[in-house]
Amino acid sequence: MIWFAALAILAGVLVSLSRQINGRLALSTSAMESSFWNHLVGLVFITAVALLVGGLFAGEPTAAPWWAYFGGPVGVVFVAAGSWLIARIGAAQTALLIIAGQMISGVAIDILMGAPGNLWARTFGVGLILAGMWVVRGGRRA
Amino acid sequence: MSRRTEPIHPLYFAAAFGTGGLLSFMVLFNGTLAAYGSLFFASWVPHLTGTVAAMLFLLVLRPKRARVTRPPVWVYLGGVSGAITVMLTSATLNSGLALSGTIALGLAGQMMFSLFADLRGLFGLPQRTPVRRDYLALVLIIAGSLILIFLGSGS
Repeated sequence: MIWFAALAILAGVLVSLSRQINGRLALSTSAMESSFWNHLVGLVFITAVALLVGGLFAGEPTAAPWWAYFGGPVGVVFVAAGSWLIARIGAAQTALLIIAGQMISGVAIDILMGAPGNLWARTFGVGLILAGMWVVRGGRRA
Repeated sequence: MSRRTEPIHPLYFAAAFGTGGLLSFMVLFNGTLAAYGSLFFASWVPHLTGTVAAMLFLLVLRPKRARVTRPPVWVYLGGVSGAITVMLTSATLNSGLALSGTIALGLAGQMMFSLFADLRGLFGLPQRTPVRRDYLALVLIIAGSLILIFLGSGS
């Protein structure tokens, strides 16, 4: 269990590391070019690992709805935006605001799709996140 | 040691928050792929369609290159780090950590390393020292996130 916990933490570290490296590439090129290289290099890497391990087309992938294939273009904008932001507001604020956006939109999507959820926990959680966004937004030393 | 005194520009603020919203859609799309195909497939497809989409964006937008000199080779390896992330989370998802534990610990790792990177100015990015209200915001946003992750879903 402790091993899996370490792996989960490492996954988060790698999210941040990836955004920093892409942000550095964007400084030399452009945010969109950095997103292009991120996807191309990632594609080559995943293809290589999948060929080694096997099972890339396991399951029933063709049965997936057509819209599920649009994660790529969304991801391109996501990586480009992250690369652009990190040089401007720093790694921590970029990560914090992205997490806030993900959490609040996640609640909105859950509610729209009728996913069951605890209203009080949702309200309290979203309230805390909004408060945090209000705090981080201001200037001057607190 | 640069201490921030300016508020975050509203454009950056809105862009970062909106970027987080994109992530929810990526999770929805890629998670749906994973429900039908393998976890490799759920990462392989968005990387493939993303590469094509980025090429089209580059052809249409033709963004200006910031510098003429070529950057060091390691700056092209961000995608490897992102791809390994997918593999690690697919391992932890199926462990006792489940989705909530995987997300919660991932948030912790992401924030710790982001703060460390800012403090040290890693990878040629601007060094910045977080101030007290950055840490207060961190506590509020992470606490709210943990409540949503562990208590928000399921009644």
